Amino acid sequence: MSRTLPARAACAGLLALVLAACGSDGDEPAATGDPVTAATAEPAASGATSVTIYSGRNEELIQPILDSFSEATGIEVRAKYGDSADLALLIDEEAAAGRVEADVFLSQSPGSIGFLDDLGRLAPLPADVLELVPEAVRDDDGRWVGFSGRQRVLVYNPELVAADELPDSVFGLTDERWRGQIGVAPSNGSFQDFVTSMRATEGDDDTKRFLEALAANDPVSYPKNSAIVAAVARGEVAVGLVNHYYNYRALEEDPSIPSLNHQFAPDDPGSILIVTGAAIVEGTDRADVAAQLIAFLLGPEGQQYFATETFEYPLAAGRQPAPQIPPIDFADVGGIDFDQLGGGLGSTREMIADAGLEG
Amino acid sequence: MALILPPLAPAADEPVGDAPRVDRRVYLAERVVGAAIGAVFALPAGFVLWRTFRLHASLSDALDQIPAPLWRTVQLAVLVSVSAAVIGTALAWLTVRTDLPMRRVWRVVLVLPLVLPSFVGAAAFITGLAPGGIIHDALGAVGVAPPRRFRGLGASWLVLTAFTYPYVLLPVSARLVTVRSSMEESARLLGMTATQAFLRVTVPQLRPAILGGSLLVFLYTLSEFGAVQLLGYDTLTRVIYATRQVDRSLSFSAASVLLVFAVVVVAFERRMRGPARPDPGAARRSGTPVALGWVAIPATLACLAVAAVGLLVPIASLATWARRGLADGRVGLGDYLDPAISTAGVAIMAAVVAVVVVAPIAVTTTRRPNVASSVAAGAVVGGFAIPGLVIALALAVLALNTPTLGSLYQTMALLIIAYVIHFGSQALASTEQAVRAVPTKLRESSRLLDDSSIRRFFRIDLPLMRPGLLAGGGLVMLATLKELPATLLLAPIGFSTLATEIWASFEEGFYAATGLASLVLIALSALLTWLLVLRHSEVTGR
Repeated sequence: MSRTLPARAACAGLLALVLAACGSDGDEPAATGDPVTAATAEPAASGATSVTIYSGRNEELIQPILDSFSEATGIEVRAKYGDSADLALLIDEEAAAGRVEADVFLSQSPGSIGFLDDLGRLAPLPADVLELVPEAVRDDDGRWVGFSGRQRVLVYNPELVAADELPDSVFGLTDERWRGQIGVAPSNGSFQDFVTSMRATEGDDDTKRFLEALAANDPVSYPKNSAIVAAVARGEVAVGLVNHYYNYRALEEDPSIPSLNHQFAPDDPGSILIVTGAAIVEGTDRADVAAQLIAFLLGPEGQQYFATETFEYPLAAGRQPAPQIPPIDFADVGGIDFDQLGGGLGSTREMIADAGLEG
Repeated sequence: MALILPPLAPAADEPVGDAPRVDRRVYLAERVVGAAIGAVFALPAGFVLWRTFRLHASLSDALDQIPAPLWRTVQLAVLVSVSAAVIGTALAWLTVRTDLPMRRVWRVVLVLPLVLPSFVGAAAFITGLAPGGIIHDALGAVGVAPPRRFRGLGASWLVLTAFTYPYVLLPVSARLVTVRSSMEESARLLGMTATQAFLRVTVPQLRPAILGGSLLVFLYTLSEFGAVQLLGYDTLTRVIYATRQVDRSLSFSAASVLLVFAVVVVAFERRMRGPARPDPGAARRSGTPVALGWVAIPATLACLAVAAVGLLVPIASLATWARRGLADGRVGLGDYLDPAISTAGVAIMAAVVAVVVVAPIAVTTTRRPNVASSVAAGAVVGGFAIPGLVIALALAVLALNTPTLGSLYQTMALLIIAYVIHFGSQALASTEQAVRAVPTKLRESSRLLDDSSIRRFFRIDLPLMRPGLLAGGGLVMLATLKELPATLLLAPIGFSTLATEIWASFEEGFYAATGLASLVLIALSALLTWLLVLRHSEVTGR
């Protein structure tokens, strides 16, 4: 699998080719979703018949759309699944040893993408792929693009708490009313992303005060979002800070559970959108098929899949979420300055730990 | 691993094993082989220390963030290993030495709690305690209010004990099969009760097996992550995992601390166990089983209780999950055929390789102990204390950066190596027991009767060693069946095991799939344990 240097050198040229092939519809990408079909018509410029992805996104939540891609293009997708952080570490180790194993990295959390971006392990994406999504959900330097979004919400158990009691702002959770009643996942990437975003919008001092007040309110720690939803559903805690789609997922498994989602006010730091990102790994000689795959995720079929099958927010311009998901306006939702995430995540974690939320 | 203290040297006036007959070249060869095997096992540890050093880990950060989680880890590990030792030893004696009804069934059933990935076990417990769960309903039926939350030290202790006591049960059972029962019988003739005879006569002979098994439980608890996370108990592994990307130097410092602590514990255990020596006298089959009489009833109840906690509760929760998915056709058994076959394949391979690789060390530590062999043994055992993720990362970095090993990256071979390094310790304890089960006198007299050492090995040694070797291989097999982090990181692309399927579905809350895949894993483990291990575990020597 190790690739040679000449191949690497050729990579820049290939990118240009992909750009030329798909550039024409760059202005109205969402209307046609054309990069995919355009690329399908001709064989990949690199001659690659397969593409390798390292996917921090779960197999259950993406394999079907990868299969559709293979069917549509004849390109085999070889996928390695794992935790985003572990795969990012692996990509870094491979790159440090001068090998390129993965062509595409899909991350469940912006943090892992930021980590690789900071280390210079990501290649620039073609402009036509980037332009498939609004500016708010892609990298300013064009090294990653969001392909689906999860909104931070408060999941609650209506048997324990009435809907009109729920706060409009995440800051309301520091009220005495919620003592011992809040489920949080402080070691989980999405909680850290939320805190990082709060630091960007509210500043470090206010964020620190919030974390300390939250910690003082005796929250219950869980390892991840799905565990919080389960805990809320069985009444172990009344409310929990999670990503929106876990409750829909849980209802899919067991329609009898009582838990419901509550959205904070649109401009509240508690209701930000967290994107799952896609990137091309620096040094790959299959950047063309890699871009083709990412474009497919952002095309009609891919976005439809994320909307209806995984209950996420499709990010490509003009796509709508599933009927049961409340629509949101990306412009109104507080966004994370993702470019700050990689470097900022270490201090975010420290802040969470210092507030006493871990452990 | 240079920190390992050599075990107490055998007393000089007491020739150990067949020392006088072995010439210098054999000694040298044994040391070289032992050192080489030990060096391979020590690779991940070396990687951790090297990385910690390279990353210029900050001592003040480490001092600030490590001691509290370390202390919690130690508390949990001590509690779990002590309770596992008591339960494992008692159950081993009941199922091997007594006329307990259905003891053959119990021998399979009581091993099975080992097969569940502990995060699944923990999740199943949490579900069982939720309204509608089996424990919740059972407690409700007897008028006890179920706890609203199941977390912390107590919960972690219960869950980990329930899923790890087989680490003691298996080697102790294997030992009991070969240890002489005549002394226990004599003690009973002299008026001791069965319990007294067991405690005063048999337990001392079992000490190495009990200590070895408890050490495995201890090290397992040190490196455990998934279950304690779910149960909200904050340990040192949480520091390693939570900081692995955002603060790599702290992550590696924490791993180094875990490692050094494990080395100290391993060295301590080897000292406590004392010099490992072969049985002096001839010993084969157990004598007549101890008649339990009315004690059979509480004994059966005890077995039932252990099986209920370690097996029934998880299976009930898993079945609840699976049923919902099977009912509406979301999941089907057919989905798990391929992963089941590949899981069984790698697990058996890892088990065989592990036993073969640690056998030379076991022979040396038992018959002709030397510093090289005991350091090597320490390295093998220490591999179990290093989280699988760290071992995987170490091997990945090694393969990626060593030109001659580059082609091994993301191959089955490297994955098997990772399994063997991680789980070799489980084969070692039992293999040492196996070697010890061949009495010195028997070996000496057989040498007079037959010149061919190979023939002697197959006719005399192997039959006597079989229960121990099978127990060791069986443990490695069961551990491999459920291994997750190293499999995810090192497996060739497209290779999935039942454990990775379980993880994939569990992470995103696809509980129906988690339940069904876990049940398949339990069934597969039971089948393999019975077919490959227990069916052959009787001593067959003549």
